[in-house]
Amino acid sequence: MPDFVWSSQSPLKKALVPGRHGAGKAAPGVSLSHVSDIALVQVMTRRGRNADVAKAAKKLFGAEPPAALKISSGKVVTLVWSGPDQFLAFSELPQTAPSVEQQEQAFAGSASLSNQSDGRCQIRISGPNARDALAKMTSLDLHDTVFPVGSAATTSIDHTAVNFWREADDASGNPVYVALVFTSFSDTLWHLFVESSLEYGVEVAAIGAGH
Amino acid sequence: MRIACPFCGARDSGEFTYLGDASPKRPDAPIDGGTAVEDQFYDYVYLRDNVAGLTREYWYHGGGCRSWLIAERSTTTHEFKSVTAAPGAGAAKAKQAGER
Repeated sequence: MPDFVWSSQSPLKKALVPGRHGAGKAAPGVSLSHVSDIALVQVMTRRGRNADVAKAAKKLFGAEPPAALKISSGKVVTLVWSGPDQFLAFSELPQTAPSVEQQEQAFAGSASLSNQSDGRCQIRISGPNARDALAKMTSLDLHDTVFPVGSAATTSIDHTAVNFWREADDASGNPVYVALVFTSFSDTLWHLFVESSLEYGVEVAAIGAGH
Repeated sequence: MRIACPFCGARDSGEFTYLGDASPKRPDAPIDGGTAVEDQFYDYVYLRDNVAGLTREYWYHGGGCRSWLIAERSTTTHEFKSVTAAPGAGAAKAKQAGER
């Protein structure tokens, strides 16, 4: 019997080409990066157990479950609203977030959990023209007054289901958006993000270079 | 066209799938109820009113929060009068309206 060694690799290994692409030589209009090492758990509240889930989340993550269309942030974990009475518990590794086993124990009986760490691909889109590029493919209104920092949505981009939220602005005051897509669709959407950003000039970060 | 999901807010209609009339109620009848029950089930399964005006219909927000919704829509103007969560959507209530 041969011994298999399973090693996880980025679904964007082929699609992602680091460096500067598209128009201009000055500062890029859009910055794209793939957050490759993540822990992600889908938490779905069981019927009538909202109070128990809120209590467990507060204890485990230091954050209440997010209100509708919002994210809530604990010390390490970000909770992202993903539908009525459900959210995603997301953290970037190697930060010491509660393990999936710890989460399963904490939510035992009150919520159903599903580990999506290798099931989804996280793409971060930022820069002064990030919103212009996204406007080509999403029907969401991303204006500051409608989609401020901390907003979340489940929507479709290019007929693909996407969890979408907005993090704190970057050091230059430009918006930072995060798209969470199924790994098998990430290649297609990555190309869409890059193509849509070329006219503004796009800087693509190498995998594992952080954000 | 946009549809106001009670959970997500106004969204492009392309995120939603239409199922059909939300009015028919499943007959609550014994298994061997005879032809009278058969007629009731025939109506429930096959017969639909072709309304010119306000209808109640099921829509699924598959491109968003994946909730089943009930919309009141006018078939003549396509105006959505109301969109509410279908029984069973979400987990907030211990038991939802219409649930046994």
